[in-house]
Amino acid sequence: MLFAIVLLLTIGCIAFILVRGAKGTPRPGGLRGRIRDRGWALLLLPIAMSAAVMAGGAHGLIPAELGLAALAIVFAPKPAAKLVPYGVLGLAIFGIMLARTYNDGSISRVQYLFVDAGWGIWGAPPVLAEAGLLFVIGLWLLLRLNSPGAGTVRALTARWLASGRRGISGAQALLLIPVVGLAVQLLGPGNWFGWQAIDGLDVAVMDLTLFAGALVLIFRSRAWAATLAEAGLLVLGAYGWVITVFWPVVPGFAYGFADLNNSPASAHLWTVAVEGSVLLAAGLWLAPRVMRHHLTDLPDPELAARARHLTQRVQTLTQTRHDAVDTAAAELRRIERDLHDGAQARLVALGMSLQAAQRLFPTNPEAALALVAEAKESSSLALTELRDLVRGIYPPVLADRGLADAIRALALDTPLPVELDLDLPGEVKLPVASAVYFSVAEALANVTKHAGARAVRIQFSYSVGMLRAQVTDDGSGGADPALGTGLAGVERRLATFDGILAVSSPPGGPTILVIEVPCALSSPKISSC
Amino acid sequence: MRVVIAEDLFLLREGLVRLLTAHGFEVVAAVASAPELLRALLDERPDVGIVDVRLPPTHTDDGLRAALQARRQVPGLPVLVLSQYVEQLYARELLADQAGGVGYLLKDRVFNDEAFTTAIRGVAAGGTVLDPVVVQKLMVRHSRTEPLTRLTPREHDVLALMAEGRSNAAIAQRLFVTEKAVSKHAAGIFAKLDLALSDDDNRRVLAVLAYLGS
Repeated sequence: MLFAIVLLLTIGCIAFILVRGAKGTPRPGGLRGRIRDRGWALLLLPIAMSAAVMAGGAHGLIPAELGLAALAIVFAPKPAAKLVPYGVLGLAIFGIMLARTYNDGSISRVQYLFVDAGWGIWGAPPVLAEAGLLFVIGLWLLLRLNSPGAGTVRALTARWLASGRRGISGAQALLLIPVVGLAVQLLGPGNWFGWQAIDGLDVAVMDLTLFAGALVLIFRSRAWAATLAEAGLLVLGAYGWVITVFWPVVPGFAYGFADLNNSPASAHLWTVAVEGSVLLAAGLWLAPRVMRHHLTDLPDPELAARARHLTQRVQTLTQTRHDAVDTAAAELRRIERDLHDGAQARLVALGMSLQAAQRLFPTNPEAALALVAEAKESSSLALTELRDLVRGIYPPVLADRGLADAIRALALDTPLPVELDLDLPGEVKLPVASAVYFSVAEALANVTKHAGARAVRIQFSYSVGMLRAQVTDDGSGGADPALGTGLAGVERRLATFDGILAVSSPPGGPTILVIEVPCALSSPKISSC
Repeated sequence: MRVVIAEDLFLLREGLVRLLTAHGFEVVAAVASAPELLRALLDERPDVGIVDVRLPPTHTDDGLRAALQARRQVPGLPVLVLSQYVEQLYARELLADQAGGVGYLLKDRVFNDEAFTTAIRGVAAGGTVLDPVVVQKLMVRHSRTEPLTRLTPREHDVLALMAEGRSNAAIAQRLFVTEKAVSKHAAGIFAKLDLALSDDDNRRVLAVLAYLGS
């Protein structure tokens, strides 16, 4: 009784500290802080004591448990505190087992928390209720204290909740067998649920297979349930042979129709062998058929999820490919127009000037000379236009040196102080490099034109397959990709490579523009001469 | 004057050889790739090497890198780099060793053979010649930064022409002023940029450029 109050008080303290801690109260320093730090671990003391007491009269265990707890508190208070939930859970499981022993007819009386448990009407149910409460508390503490294993519990819970929608994977379905087996052992199928007592491992295997198979059938698919049943058949058959060969090392009470009753005399071992062989043969005959059925069983939730994912991916790819082709076509149209109106026209003019000069040369050499000078001027202008055009298609430094130097050259050409922080451990493939280059160029052009900024900062970094570029300016802000075509074009250009653009630009600034593109890096270029 | 030419396009290479020969230069080697260029520069030790930035084997900036390597082995080896485009980044790399004897021009400057041969001679003499496009970009970039805002417009013009590698006489002619006036402007520029005075044209240009490049 006293112990129960202490236990509840300590659990209450933990809950209080957790709730207070969540509000972010600073931890007091000095002695109070130390007490609070160690206080966590002090909780281990009553729990260890109770576990030892309830272990059933093994008095020698008590000092050992207390000693262990004390050592844990002194030398590793924080990890020890993390073990508290396991103490509570252990007590809960102990309660369940205690209730079971009463159900099996035990008559010894044991104090369990508030209940003086024993045979009779006040025996099992209150103990079970208390154990259930402790179990819930233990689980809550486990999650709140983030003890080892909390992650697994969370993942399993999430998975279980999700399984209603998506089903569970085959591996998890198979994992159910040991889990369910443990549960069955713990609860004791004796006459707990009115089940037949387990007399032989074969019955346990059969129970497990059926139970797990049913679960799989509910949550997953017929194919997996059939596979499970198939595995059960093979295990059962093999078990028959194990009994036959290794008797009496392997304890056997019953196997199928053979009532061994702990002695081979009451039945012939060969009947066990025959039964095992029949089961094995059936299993082996069924195996390929089940597997074939399994492989062709299409409405598998996992496959369906994959199919959904792939469909989405195909939609994205169709869209971005469409955009990429559109962009490329528009780009080609622009180049064609620029060439037609620019360099081509200049070359025609040049040819005409030279032609006229040739005609004038014998009669009026001076006029011819003037025309030649004009032709020279024409060719110079044509070159300038071609140069600008080429720069727009593919910046020369990018072709020569790669992304980092191209960005350096871009920064030098920007009429603002640009701070560079380029951390690229390798070379970016040219198509991606080009997209990133033009994105940064667009960002810099915007900063120069609109932002009224005094300084710009460009940062490049790369980690786990993701290239990240950030352009920050101290301008007036208010940039929006939805307005204007520049940033929208950048977004489309990046989408071709599954890249994204994010802009944060509150009115008044600063503007932060982030580009992220998944890509691989090759080894850095090595100077060849 | 002994010249090495590196240009991978046959027509342009032959054109350059013809042009330079016509102006009395002696072309001791005309090569088409970066390794050949490096060998020619180191073996022939020409008065000036005329180098296209983009050369085989990788057709990127092999010519520039070969020229820089040659200058690392022979400090101050005069090199005039020609290119279809000019980049401040490459200009900085060429100027980084502060040894002078460097030129960086657009290819179409060849059209004006007078100016082109003057530039070659200037580089061979240890001067620094930058393409007006590079100079203009430098000026734009720094026009808003503090020390350059102190210059008068006329001083700006003088500074730009100085960076193109022009002598005081040439600047005077270009701006239609007397040489003395140019000297006065130059002194003003150096005072405003806190640069030490020096008689050496090239030193002055390098100092200015180092200042702009910082």
